[in-house]
Amino acid sequence: MKSRQKKPKLSERPMFETVTSVLYPLLFGAVIFVLWETELLHRMIGTTESILPTPSHIADIIANNPSKLFGNLMMTMLPTLIGLALGSLLGYGVAVLAAMFGRWGAGGLTIVSCFNAIPIVALAPVFNNLIKTVTSDITIRGLTAKVLVIIVMCMSSMSINAYRGLTQLQPFGEDLMATYGADRKTVFLMLRLPNSLPYIFTALKVSLPLSVISSLVSEYFIDTVEGSQSRPGLGRMIRSNILNAQYATAWAYITFACALGVALYIVLMLISKRVLKNRGK
Amino acid sequence: MKNFIKRLTSKNGWVLFVWLAALAAVWEIGATVIGATVRNHPEYILPHLWQIAASVVQPVSDTQTIFGLVMVNAWATLSRALVGFLIGMAAGFVLALLMSLSRAVEKIAFPYLMLIQMIPILGMAPIVLSLTGDIGVSRIVIAAILTFYPVATNMLAGFRSVSREKHELMYSYAANTFVKYVKMMLPSALPYMFTGLKIAAPMAVTASILVDTLQGGVGLGCLLSQSLKHNTSIYAFWEIVFISAALGILSAKLIGLIESLTVGGRLSALSGRLIRSAGKEKRYEKQAEKTEA
Repeated sequence: MKSRQKKPKLSERPMFETVTSVLYPLLFGAVIFVLWETELLHRMIGTTESILPTPSHIADIIANNPSKLFGNLMMTMLPTLIGLALGSLLGYGVAVLAAMFGRWGAGGLTIVSCFNAIPIVALAPVFNNLIKTVTSDITIRGLTAKVLVIIVMCMSSMSINAYRGLTQLQPFGEDLMATYGADRKTVFLMLRLPNSLPYIFTALKVSLPLSVISSLVSEYFIDTVEGSQSRPGLGRMIRSNILNAQYATAWAYITFACALGVALYIVLMLISKRVLKNRGK
Repeated sequence: MKNFIKRLTSKNGWVLFVWLAALAAVWEIGATVIGATVRNHPEYILPHLWQIAASVVQPVSDTQTIFGLVMVNAWATLSRALVGFLIGMAAGFVLALLMSLSRAVEKIAFPYLMLIQMIPILGMAPIVLSLTGDIGVSRIVIAAILTFYPVATNMLAGFRSVSREKHELMYSYAANTFVKYVKMMLPSALPYMFTGLKIAAPMAVTASILVDTLQGGVGLGCLLSQSLKHNTSIYAFWEIVFISAALGILSAKLIGLIESLTVGGRLSALSGRLIRSAGKEKRYEKQAEKTEA
């Protein structure tokens, strides 16, 4: 009954619909913000200002120490992007091979897809130990270990999705190509590759947040030099500041980590919109 | 799981086997190279597979083998992950239900649901620990948050996937909201929920292990950091690597198994028994589904 009464009412006022879908979440956010700033939130969840600093306090910390924050941000962002790019390329390569070699490829894909379920916590120390034998430079070591973990984490979602994109073609697409007398390379470039584009973005939407998380978590296990000049990355800074009971500083790093995750995701959405829009033309 | 076994026993089974063997061969080559080049404890970097296998029966104390120790800790980790997983599942289910029932709730919650999936929750584990003050609670909280949003977003997608014709059919039966949800919305959304759960299960395991590493006590993560600090045998670490990978994979497979047992026909039959008064609907619905498919 309800839906029937509602529908004409909402279609009568499309403005109401758009305004409320922006207004409601904003209002909700504002209420939380006010509760947080006035420390009412602290009373509600039973914590203190020192553990959960107010937004203005966190903003202060960020304003006071931007160079260190941005330095650590770079040390997290760089391996995230490199690892994401390499892992996705590798995953796509695996998918192409799997699509070429039928049964053998599908078997390999099953193995690769299992990599996704390996906890980051188990991977990070393995790679960190492995890298120790290759180089002694502690910064490069940390970066490489992070990149390797992210590659493994990103590979599986890309390979599975890209495999779908390469094999689940439009009906008669392959037949059409056959009537053109197209060779395998042309079929790949003109049919399979464009068909897999949306699947690539589906995979990236999964693996991007995953690679940010992998980067943050692997930082717990990498070796770093002690001292104020070290830039181990956001995740490590969150943890070490909390161990030193510097909660406000830790929250500044958390803010940066969240901003990194959100910003990268938004960039990805914009790129995907752009690319998939042009595709139709 | 069924699928997995079928694949193993079928013709393609040996394809998988050859791949696994190739992977093991690569590992062994790596371990041999490391063993030849690293003088100081090569087993810290990459031990041979047979060394890890042999360590399973190696005693760590008078009463316990390393494997026994790992298993005790694995259970501690898993049981907490499970509690968080169930709470997160329930919360995600309730939120998706509320969002589908009320436009206002949907409007408020949806942007935040999107936001939470871009935020690295696992990276915030240490602050959750200091906020809750208790490692057991924070383990549950983080596992719950990580389970919550895939379940909520996927269920919501499931509720939205119900076609307009089905809504109209229900309307023509003058079905009330309860009947509509039990007979139409929930059965259509359940496969989506399982998709969410399959994503969430390995994450809940990872989260639980990660939170373990933050503080002493029992748990796989805790044993892992002890082993890395050489407080116990390093083989405990290698066993954990394999056990945790297996747990992550099996947890997703287990959800798949539960899905095939429940959603595979039985649940819709159950809901049919719940409300006999509108018995014919199901047949129509199934027909509609068939024609759609």
